[in-house]
Amino acid sequence: MQLKSKKLKGKNKLEFNKIVLRQFGVFAILLLSFVFAQAQEPIPSAPKSVTIPNVKTKVLRNGLTVVVIEKRNLPLVSVQFQTSQGSNGDYPFAGTANLTTQLLTKGTKIRTATRIAEEMEFLGGSINAGAGFLQSQVSIGVTSDKLNQAMTIMSDVILNPAFKQSEIALAKKQIVDDLTYRMTQPGSLANFAATKYSFDEWITIGTVDSVNKITRKEILKSYQEQFKLQDATLVFTGDISAAQAFNLAQRLFGKGSTPIYMTAPAGAEIVTKSRKVSSDNISKRILVIDLPNSGQSSVLFAKQFEDGKREFDPKTEKSNYSKVYFPAIVMNSLFGGGYSSRLNQEVRIKRGLSYGANSSLIWRQMDSKFIASCQTKNESAAEVAELIIAELKRLTTDLASNDELNPRKAVLIGDFGRDLETTSGLNYALSDLFLFGLTPNELNAFTENVRKVTPEQVRSFANENLKGGDIIIVGDYKIFKDDLAKRFPNQKVEVIKVAELDLNSETISKN
Amino acid sequence: MRKILGILLIALILAISVFAQIKVPKLELKQRTLSNGMKIVTHRDTSSPSVAIHVWYDVGGKNDPPGKSGFAHMFEHMMFKSTKNMPNEKMDRLTEDVGGFNNASTWDDFTNYYEVVPANHLEVLLWAEAERMQNLNVDQTNYNSEKEVVKEEFRQGVLANPYGRFFEFIGNLSFQQHPYKRGVIGNLDELNAASIDDANNFYKTYYRPDNATLIVVGDFEQSQLDTWVEKYFARIPKPSGSIPRVTVKESAWTKERRYEKFAPIVPFPAVAIIFQSPPSNSPDIPALKVAETILSGGESSRLYQELIYKQQIAQEASFSVDLKIDGGLLQFVGIGAEGSSSAKLEKSLLSELKKIQTSGVTAKELAKAKNQMIAGKIRALEDNDGKAIAIERAMIYQGNADAVNNEVQQLQTVTAADVQRVLKKYLAENNRVVIYYNQEKGGSDAAKK
Repeated sequence: MQLKSKKLKGKNKLEFNKIVLRQFGVFAILLLSFVFAQAQEPIPSAPKSVTIPNVKTKVLRNGLTVVVIEKRNLPLVSVQFQTSQGSNGDYPFAGTANLTTQLLTKGTKIRTATRIAEEMEFLGGSINAGAGFLQSQVSIGVTSDKLNQAMTIMSDVILNPAFKQSEIALAKKQIVDDLTYRMTQPGSLANFAATKYSFDEWITIGTVDSVNKITRKEILKSYQEQFKLQDATLVFTGDISAAQAFNLAQRLFGKGSTPIYMTAPAGAEIVTKSRKVSSDNISKRILVIDLPNSGQSSVLFAKQFEDGKREFDPKTEKSNYSKVYFPAIVMNSLFGGGYSSRLNQEVRIKRGLSYGANSSLIWRQMDSKFIASCQTKNESAAEVAELIIAELKRLTTDLASNDELNPRKAVLIGDFGRDLETTSGLNYALSDLFLFGLTPNELNAFTENVRKVTPEQVRSFANENLKGGDIIIVGDYKIFKDDLAKRFPNQKVEVIKVAELDLNSETISKN
Repeated sequence: MRKILGILLIALILAISVFAQIKVPKLELKQRTLSNGMKIVTHRDTSSPSVAIHVWYDVGGKNDPPGKSGFAHMFEHMMFKSTKNMPNEKMDRLTEDVGGFNNASTWDDFTNYYEVVPANHLEVLLWAEAERMQNLNVDQTNYNSEKEVVKEEFRQGVLANPYGRFFEFIGNLSFQQHPYKRGVIGNLDELNAASIDDANNFYKTYYRPDNATLIVVGDFEQSQLDTWVEKYFARIPKPSGSIPRVTVKESAWTKERRYEKFAPIVPFPAVAIIFQSPPSNSPDIPALKVAETILSGGESSRLYQELIYKQQIAQEASFSVDLKIDGGLLQFVGIGAEGSSSAKLEKSLLSELKKIQTSGVTAKELAKAKNQMIAGKIRALEDNDGKAIAIERAMIYQGNADAVNNEVQQLQTVTAADVQRVLKKYLAENNRVVIYYNQEKGGSDAAKK
């Protein structure tokens, strides 16, 4: 048993870790003034620099894009196969893309589920398959001497899945059990609720009802749509040369010579709808999900905004980061990204109301989302909701000083650099660029793009995009009912008992 | 049959040679002890222009003052507050604000504080670590507010998580004498009972150079680092008096103990079957770790294949070796699937144990486990922080930093007979604790909806 004094953000989820780019060091110079604050404190020496890895790309004749970054310090390789359709294509049952992708590693025409695990683990490697909202992916991590064998298994699961009935039944049961478990945790329940109630999106893993309805027919159809080589990228990072990677890709994935490009743009979102809100208030609605006996309450603020991560320029036929992307991520770092963000200062550091409060952005091609959340004792749920609203309000009215903003930019730049330090983190960052049609050069431009964001841009992003969201509280309602009414006297509170919850409906209620 | 044997043989040869050419990088270490008793271990690695700094203290949850369970961990939170020359949260200014990060963690046997920063910030962080080792202000306002944070941490980890209480019960009910039984997070009543005087005493008693180790990994010049260590750490005086140590020994368990526990929200039944583990530096630990991988390392492992895949009675089924200096726990844990029960899980978990105890493991399983573990060790060394952690754990659990470079060799010497022997030796019918964990009657039935 160990206990950390701070929460590590997202570390387990994406197995993120570290590289340090040159700009990371350059940035340190800008911040020297902070470091001089104490007379006795030593002064940092000049920063050191490194070169940014070279990205090589090749498109096979069948349309598959192969991407390689050679990084030779350890005998490890990460490979990720990613397509540009995920749960955004789920129809008619939420959770189909995720189930379909998970089933890839549960049997092929020549390997059973057990044999896949057996062979991969014998190599000391791992294989993971899953879908997000915009994408589906299969990834492996393996020592470089075993790459050929591991890749053979990987291509088999992607190209020849069996989708056996017994495996479908087991995978469905596992997902339903997992959902049932998550529905008892206030934090994950609040996130599910926001996905449906605030964003009207599919929940990627589905709901108990929708997953139970999925049959082999939907799975086969989903597989055809999700796994098209011409819409996919195969990204190699680590102890491998470009020539080696291109050969492997050609040998294992190179069948066919005529790419058939889909007409719809990659990752088109077919289920979200934009909601223009013209409210001066930060919160438009308050929803409570009553979870009696809950050990804590989860308090969440959710707001969708129109922009996506990238904009397509029809003249150059290239995608660039959207105009709001960098102002938005600097805003998020200031507001709730990292330990010293404003929200964590107010909720945890000054008042001891939570173990950690934070916010995040979920990027789409359009209609991206902003979520701020924390867990607190039931007694202080309404107080925390009020603090979140007050801090959001301040973001829309006051300009942050550069003295406050620069360290928050450093957090972004430092995290970005460390994310690229491991083969898997590097792989994830590259795959994400390709998903949004952005070029690998963006890795080099990141620091400068963050640095250029002004306090005015941060405020206007907040003003234009963060007003009119929802407060969602999941917890033991009787404990905070009166306090909530007192703190939000002019707002209607919608209450749904957990037993009445229906996550398939936009009203999320069975009634 | 002959053909199958042939294939097996090839597989075996492959297995043995799989990692022949793959080397887990050796960490070249420089070690010394300052005149005030502080240990210094460094490893230079210039592959990225950053440094990882770890300071670990030989104090942990087992050293909580009596009646104040959870205190060592709460004190760890205080170490981020003001010192004579640093305001509150200065550590965050020195790390986050320059693109680095910091954190700390409290374990049963130790407490560590760590940072990763651009290499040119190394000296500043050494100064800051020395500063909080000798000049911490323990003030009432900070103390009160951090106490509230820790209570929220308890609520989040233990009360709001359906299986939070279950994992606390495992330690609380298994150990009979050793203070490990209290758990690092403690409980709300005992956290409330602690005062600021306890904090001052705890700081004076345990936070001293002869109870601390500095580990630095990354891009630095050795001579310059040595100069900084002299300047900031060697001048900290060694206090007189000795450091109190836990001397309580957990006596050998001699009969089975069974418990049934309940909580308000438990969506699926769970079971834990717990045995006593030898101390973390025991020569039997590598064989137990191999058993851990054979039983629950990945989807081809025995417990996954049997309980999750074939019988479909569990969502999670694991066997884990919980390392502790004075001997930890060997634990089978099962969390049920829909329609399962604690009794079913117990029966199947014990039957898997019995299979290995009577029939042993195959050569192929042994080879696979070793391959998985060696690949895991390479992955763990991908960044400077990972290397610092590996060095730290070798010092704490094996008693010396050099052990970090022997782990693979120790692993390679484990035989199939060793795996069978240690499971027979440590996991007997008359020395186990069995805990059933279920939803209390009249508890929330939200889970089933």
